[in-house]
Amino acid sequence: MMRRLRRLFHKQTAEKQLDAELRYHVEGQTADYVARGMSAEEARRRARMEIGEIEDVKQECREARSMHFLEDLMQDVRYGARMLRRSPGFLAVAVLTLAVGIGANTAIFSVVNAVLLRPLPYPDADRLAIVLVGVGNATRAPASQFQLFQIRQRTKEFEQVGGIWVTNGVIPGDGEPEQVKVGFVTTNFLPLLCARPELGRFFGAEDEAPNAPWGVVISHGVWARRFGSDPSIIGKSIRIGANSAVILGVTPKDFKFIFPSDASVPANVDLFYPVSVDGSDPNGPGYLHLIGRLRPGSNTARAQAEADSISEQIRSLRGSSGASNFRLYIFPFQNDVVREVRRTLLLLFGGVGFVLLISCANVANLLLARATGRLRETTVRTALGASRGRLVRQLLTENALLGCIGGVAALGIGWAALRAILAARPASLANFSGVNLDFKVLAFTFAVAILTSALFGIAPIVASSRLDLTQSLKEAGSTAGRTGRAWNKLLVAAEVALGFVLLVGTGLLMRTFVNVLRVDPGFRAENVFSFQIPSPKYEMLHQLLENLAALPGVRSAAAVSHLPLDSTANWYDHYWKEGAKPEEQNSVMADHRSILPGYFRTIGATLLEGRDFTESDDAAHQHVIIIDDVLAQELWPGEDSIGKKLNVSDSPSGPYQFQRDWAVVVGVVKHIQCHSLTLMVRPQIYVPFQLAPRPMSVLIHTTGIVPNLATSVRAQVVLLDKTIPVSNVGPLSDTVARARSQSRFASLLAASLTAIALLLACVGIYGVLSYSVAQRTGEIGIRMAIGARGADIMKMVFGSSFRPILPGLISGFLLSVALTPLLSDMLFGIKPNDFTNYAENVVAILIVSAIASYLPARRATRVDPLVALRHW
Amino acid sequence: MMDKDKKEFLKGTLDMLILKIVAFGPIHGYAISQRMKEISKDFFQVHQGSLYPALHRLEDRGWLEPEWKESETGREAKFYKLTRKGRKQLGNEMESWARMSDAVKTILGAVE
Repeated sequence: MMRRLRRLFHKQTAEKQLDAELRYHVEGQTADYVARGMSAEEARRRARMEIGEIEDVKQECREARSMHFLEDLMQDVRYGARMLRRSPGFLAVAVLTLAVGIGANTAIFSVVNAVLLRPLPYPDADRLAIVLVGVGNATRAPASQFQLFQIRQRTKEFEQVGGIWVTNGVIPGDGEPEQVKVGFVTTNFLPLLCARPELGRFFGAEDEAPNAPWGVVISHGVWARRFGSDPSIIGKSIRIGANSAVILGVTPKDFKFIFPSDASVPANVDLFYPVSVDGSDPNGPGYLHLIGRLRPGSNTARAQAEADSISEQIRSLRGSSGASNFRLYIFPFQNDVVREVRRTLLLLFGGVGFVLLISCANVANLLLARATGRLRETTVRTALGASRGRLVRQLLTENALLGCIGGVAALGIGWAALRAILAARPASLANFSGVNLDFKVLAFTFAVAILTSALFGIAPIVASSRLDLTQSLKEAGSTAGRTGRAWNKLLVAAEVALGFVLLVGTGLLMRTFVNVLRVDPGFRAENVFSFQIPSPKYEMLHQLLENLAALPGVRSAAAVSHLPLDSTANWYDHYWKEGAKPEEQNSVMADHRSILPGYFRTIGATLLEGRDFTESDDAAHQHVIIIDDVLAQELWPGEDSIGKKLNVSDSPSGPYQFQRDWAVVVGVVKHIQCHSLTLMVRPQIYVPFQLAPRPMSVLIHTTGIVPNLATSVRAQVVLLDKTIPVSNVGPLSDTVARARSQSRFASLLAASLTAIALLLACVGIYGVLSYSVAQRTGEIGIRMAIGARGADIMKMVFGSSFRPILPGLISGFLLSVALTPLLSDMLFGIKPNDFTNYAENVVAILIVSAIASYLPARRATRVDPLVALRHW
Repeated sequence: MMDKDKKEFLKGTLDMLILKIVAFGPIHGYAISQRMKEISKDFFQVHQGSLYPALHRLEDRGWLEPEWKESETGREAKFYKLTRKGRKQLGNEMESWARMSDAVKTILGAVE
């Protein structure tokens, strides 16, 4: 072995020595001839002629040495590299094709792997399940303390069930006020998702005791930012509002929440307060997002069965006053987190698989053409005594080398593609970290590429092994060429079919995106800026809005508790109209929004009937609400809703101090899309801020771009109360863009993939056709010699190129009909079998094929019969 | 002799001829080719291109040993030297050659 290795490393010297030895021979011979009176020129020529082609002699000398695997391999690799270098055009196209196919695959799979396959970064992530409440029109609602209490009492399948609710709060401690996300968590919640705190401890049962001191857990970020990473922070007291709390623990640096987007649990929560689970109020508000850890050996199906019986018991507990349609849903946590992007990613993965197939078909095509063209060479070498095994291995090495170069290039392309995907990723993917180039899949795609190139590269040789050598020498160009051409046609047909499916799918996604762009969300985002402030006093807020409205360039200012399409913790609750039977109460829910007068005007919503709120719509007067047209239509179809009464939940005595009140409808506004641009999730009820104070988003409608708006806004807030932090300053259009991100992401990626696929198919068709035109030069020459005109030749070439394209188109059509229904969930405003989409893409494929066929066809018409026939 | 048969015949004898020439003392490739030309001028001509692969084959089998040293022209050249294994091989080949040659002679003699 050592000897082999030494020889391998001494290869360079061996090559030099071989070179020197042969040079010595040629020079000796030359000198000899000169001595015999030949001219130097003639002597050298003769000496060279006698020894023959130096390269061949060298190769034979190398082959004369015994076959050591490694050395052989190196030799084959060198030979292969030389052969590849000899045709740079082929090399470039093949490498690029492979690189695009592998690179795109690797990038997409890296995302799929990080998001769908890799477990969430939580302890026992595979045993985590999300527990959702279904009541009436809500199927993914959070639970009330009462419900959680009941579940905990009864469950045997869950080890733990905990809940979280996130709202905005102000960071404690010294320095600038800062608004942060505050998580209210049950005492068992944090240990469900985090193995251990960085410092101190998480909450425990002792923190639920009525007389326990108020403890908080802070995030690593807050600890570093606000407390200078003080190692002795644990046990210190901090002031929160009027109270003081003890810091119990610090979460680890990389800890973050990866929750379903509709749970309104953001990735980074900076401050945690414990909530105790009080089972005394069956009608308390549902706000806790539940996560449970199944006990080992259990599964979500069993947990669901148990949950069905628990919900049955809860329904009976509440008796006639309870919601008759209360239900619990259990889903594996990870599945639920990715449920929105799952389909998009899998479809993209399928699409990119198609691209890889097309790349492979292309490379196979190129290699087939090349190998067939080289059949004469291989036959000659066989005749000279090279063993077939040796030849095949040689070719395999050459093609594997090609695959390797393609793979390396793919690494670069994959990296770039992944950057691009991450830059364009929708909000639903934003929380996933560790989306890196996946080397497992890179290895896999590498293998596919190498295998493809190797297999298709040697196919013609293996096919010709049955042929007689001399026969094959004579007919190298035609016999095996015919097998090659059949393959070529099949591959072109496959490329067209796959390309067509991608086109149809992309057409649907792009139309969907266009429809999403066109959708009327019920409000206007242009020139509206917003920022958030924690629960202000009414007077302060009112004053702030007046001051803001007076700023230059500002048309109006208003405030709302929940920006449309924003992910702030939702507020939704039950409502019922007068005379509702007890079982109808607590059964349907609407989104509730706290607003100040002027909100609808500022955001460009349409007040259909009645009036906006006024400053006097407070707790001292008749409680009033504004509802949207969806709710009005549902409750009082064909009737006037103004003046009707609804039982709603409000909190006139302070933030989150919910109580039920009868309120009078004073206005009807057009529905505003709140959760998604494309789905109407729930109707809305608007409550005056005085009846429902809470953290607010302030909206400013400007006449255009106002310079330094953020600065002047902050200045206005500080002017009134310098303890109030301002956060999330930004245009409302950003929020809308975020809501479109999923659709944009899908259509953008699909379009890129399809563009690549079409380009590849184009190259493939072009390559095959050029090759077949080159092969048929003689035939074309004869045709022209006996009177065929350019147009006839053109027709002939086009005809032969369209022969595989039409069956490809038909298979592609059938494949699309079978596959596009998978897209249904992602489409908006278009059906999978949309006729225009199909028609356009058939035309597109035909145009692409025509473009790819044109150049070779034109080249065919330029064939000079005289030249063509001479070489035939 | 037909071309093809001559080739086959050559392949078998070439190795032996080379070994024989090298047996006289270390010699470089060019000199071997010259010697071969001299010896076999009338009968056959070894294509120079096939001499070197043969040399490398013999070296690989351990019958020849390379040595780089100054040649008569004062330049570094690759000299080949017969190894012990090579000498034994040469002996074997010459023996079997002689046997065959005897046999052929006998047959030819008998016919005459």
